Amino acid sequence: MRQVKYYLTILLLHGLFLQSLWAGGWPQPKGKGYFKLSEWWMIADKHYTDTGLKDPNITSGLFTTSLYAEYGLSNRITGIVYFPVFSRNYFNNQISGTTGETLKSGEAINSIGDPNVGVKIGLTQADRGIVLSSILTLGLPLGESAGGVDGALQTGDGEFNQMLQMELGFGLGSGSSPSYGKVTSGFNNRTKGFSDEFRLHVELGKNLFNNRVWLIGRLNMIESLKNGKDASQVITSGIFANNTEVTSLQVEANYYITETLGISASISSPLRGEITYAANAYEVGFFVDMK
Amino acid sequence: MSSKIFVASILVTLLSVTFISCIGDDIVFDEVVETIRITNAPDTLALDSEYRFEYIYLDKTGNEGQAINVKWQSSDPEVIDISQDGNANALQSGRATIEVTALIDGVELLDQADVVVGQSTVLNNDSKSGTIKTTSSYVLEGSFTLQQTGNDLTLQIADDYRASSSLPGLVLYLTNNPNTIEGSLEISPVTVFNGAHEYLIENVDIEEYGYLLYFCKPFRVKVGDGKIND
Repeated sequence: MRQVKYYLTILLLHGLFLQSLWAGGWPQPKGKGYFKLSEWWMIADKHYTDTGLKDPNITSGLFTTSLYAEYGLSNRITGIVYFPVFSRNYFNNQISGTTGETLKSGEAINSIGDPNVGVKIGLTQADRGIVLSSILTLGLPLGESAGGVDGALQTGDGEFNQMLQMELGFGLGSGSSPSYGKVTSGFNNRTKGFSDEFRLHVELGKNLFNNRVWLIGRLNMIESLKNGKDASQVITSGIFANNTEVTSLQVEANYYITETLGISASISSPLRGEITYAANAYEVGFFVDMK
Repeated sequence: MSSKIFVASILVTLLSVTFISCIGDDIVFDEVVETIRITNAPDTLALDSEYRFEYIYLDKTGNEGQAINVKWQSSDPEVIDISQDGNANALQSGRATIEVTALIDGVELLDQADVVVGQSTVLNNDSKSGTIKTTSSYVLEGSFTLQQTGNDLTLQIADDYRASSSLPGLVLYLTNNPNTIEGSLEISPVTVFNGAHEYLIENVDIEEYGYLLYFCKPFRVKVGDGKIND
């Protein structure tokens, strides 16, 4: 059981979906941390409309290179930073199928993205089987929210948001291949006319090959309260659009090359959505785990 | 050794991502049927008057082009006689069909206008209408009329109009190719999503465009259109 809790502490930490933080089920021990360099990307030629159906759109790519860090400020308080150091959004060229001429040249913007800073506070003792935490995350609008000729290229949404979440983590097994689960839910308060959001995140992880590999499955859900401006009044697109909703399934594999160094890869596929891209998102990353 | 693998993995990943993040090409299926149309057909020509008929040729992309082998013809030259440059003479009372044709890549394009010879010259109807319909899964429907007033057009959208307000950046255009905004005239961003409203479009002739086009700029996708009918 003790081993399970240990794994829980160090491994409930990796989730990253749509540039939101999904910190683990338990704060880092004081002086310990988890750091990750990752590349997240999505290339979309379809989007979900307000009816939930899929319509085509010009192919848009969004690539984000980010640093993610958790560090134990005390045994109960963990500081969390997600910083997208480089983000690129582009539209493809539009070529006439009749003449072969370029109808509209593609364009791209490169900038930093919207970073998140947060703090996770452990509400129960680390040695309990079930751990309860509270997470406050602030989304800083440092990315580009209106780039390109039409102002439609974005690496951020341009609004300052505050998200408060509660997280429940628990061990599901013991021995050489323990498992864990966690449920995170919260409220994302958004500004500048963007609708607030309810978020839910369910995660299950399974250890394989004697602590070498962790397989993680996630169900991520963003539900808009639709209490802000109409999407027509806020020129945004894709994952940065207003009143966006999405439910997606994510699978992630983590492999420890050494005791402290590892690589990870994930794929996230939308199950349903509204006013957002309908495409898979991918991530590869390299992490340092200060056990 | 493990550290070297770790660093190599980082480099390979960064190189791979750099490669796939390049701008690519999207093919737009923008072909439309080539057309030729008479742009200033009168309803009635005054007896013993002269009148110059004009036409416009639109190519496969809906852009104005230069037609060759253009021919003018009257169904009754004793009523209206027309030369190959479009100059017509109203010779006697009656009715005739004026026809313009062009041969493009072996295909004959044709447009016709029925014209009456009477007491005075009366230009054709200055009003056209049509129906807006969605071509996407967003709600968009309604009817409209276009009215020529001097050099300007008034586009009147009727009471039965409805459009989704969930679209970011919906824009209305006039175009001859409803598959693309290339070569189109931007009228206005759409800010009314229900009921009657109108737009004033300056310095546009009613014969210049064949369609209304609703287009979502941020997603760069067509939402719907409305053919402008005589």
